[in-house]
Amino acid sequence: MKIVNLALRIAIGASLAASGVIHAYLYIHGYRDIPTVGPAFLLQGSVFCALAVLVLAGGPAWLQLVAVVGATGSLAAFILSRTGGFFGFTETGWQPAPYAAITVVAELLTLLLVGTTALRRRPRASASTSRSSSPGRPR
Amino acid sequence: MSGDNDPAGMTRRQLIRHGAWFGAAVVLTVAGGEVISHVAGSAGAAQQATRPALRFAQISDSHIGFNGPANPNVADTFNHAIGQINGLGYTPDFVIHTGDLTHLATPDQFDQVKQMLTGLNTPRVFTVPGEHDSTDDAGQKYRQVFGAGTRGDGWYSFDIAGVHLIGLVNTLNMQKLGHLGTDQLQFIEKDVAGLSSDTPIVVFSHIPLFAMYPDWGWGTDDATQALSYLKRFSSVTCLNGHVHQLFSKTEGNVRFYSGTTTAYPLPTPGQGPAPKPVTLPAGKLREALGVREVSYTKGQQALALKDQKLT
Repeated sequence: MKIVNLALRIAIGASLAASGVIHAYLYIHGYRDIPTVGPAFLLQGSVFCALAVLVLAGGPAWLQLVAVVGATGSLAAFILSRTGGFFGFTETGWQPAPYAAITVVAELLTLLLVGTTALRRRPRASASTSRSSSPGRPR
Repeated sequence: MSGDNDPAGMTRRQLIRHGAWFGAAVVLTVAGGEVISHVAGSAGAAQQATRPALRFAQISDSHIGFNGPANPNVADTFNHAIGQINGLGYTPDFVIHTGDLTHLATPDQFDQVKQMLTGLNTPRVFTVPGEHDSTDDAGQKYRQVFGAGTRGDGWYSFDIAGVHLIGLVNTLNMQKLGHLGTDQLQFIEKDVAGLSSDTPIVVFSHIPLFAMYPDWGWGTDDATQALSYLKRFSSVTCLNGHVHQLFSKTEGNVRFYSGTTTAYPLPTPGQGPAPKPVTLPAGKLREALGVREVSYTKGQQALALKDQKLT
């Protein structure tokens, strides 16, 4: 069980790092000149890289919840930039290739892996709840 | 040990631990942001060290002669935009005006805008006409004032600092969308035929060359043909006016940038039945107006753009 948990943690960290590093790379190589979108790329890159390190280091579950919120936000921004525009910025298809596709896959993986981790935690959490609520347990 | 418990069920130790993780997250995020900014700044500094090969400014849609509640004094805001360009801290290699210099294309309005443009501290000013500059004469009055050295109905190209710039006219012979026409398409094809594929290309026109919002005529019906001649170039930047708002879009090797106006804002696409001038609350107008700086540094694929609100 510990090995599976460790593998999940490493995979979540890797998917967060992939998305964060690519956003930082795109920020450095041109996107910083785009109003609003540039600073958003900087924020995404730094937050995701920080989350990657902390999740790998065995941080608490709420870090993974933040990762889910961030990944969902990034995917929503990606969809908006291909449809109605994200703060007045639009792009077409999978441009810039291959970075757009890699970040989308990485963010979907983040959602999938955090979801898997949460499902694996649930039974144990409920078991621990029943233990802690049992009468006479020393505190 | 009871003092370690709080009413919500989290021990003090757990609270401290979560606080430490939160602190680590904040510190790492700030540190990461600093590192990324520093790397980007170094890249920018390297560009600064080798001064940009080309620096120019874009202004658009001055609508000299417009008189309405959306902007009761378009001459004043246009003068302000000119002053802002003169205060950039360097002399732009040139300034482009991407159309709708005047509101009704009267000789007086052309005289006034021509006179005002002489206030720009730059060696050259390039213009393309908007549909307001050719309301009743297919652009004849516009060409009398601004058409020197142009071809056909006012299109032209020139090279500066290794960059090839093309000024297009897509406001004549238009139905709903902008239109370039066969002659101009042939001009573009021949114009770029002898250029190497690594030549940066800048195209400027009044109406967007991409389908920004065709329902309002915000697109050019034969732009696809024009852009097909530019496909082989590694860097193509298209600048336009007409839509009175900032907007950018990337399609393959082509980056499109709509510029804002110095006159009055228009609604965002789809807001309302038609693009009518928007009257903003007092004091908010200048935030919707602005000017744009564009620079090109050799070795960089993309041009750098910086949009400034009117101050």
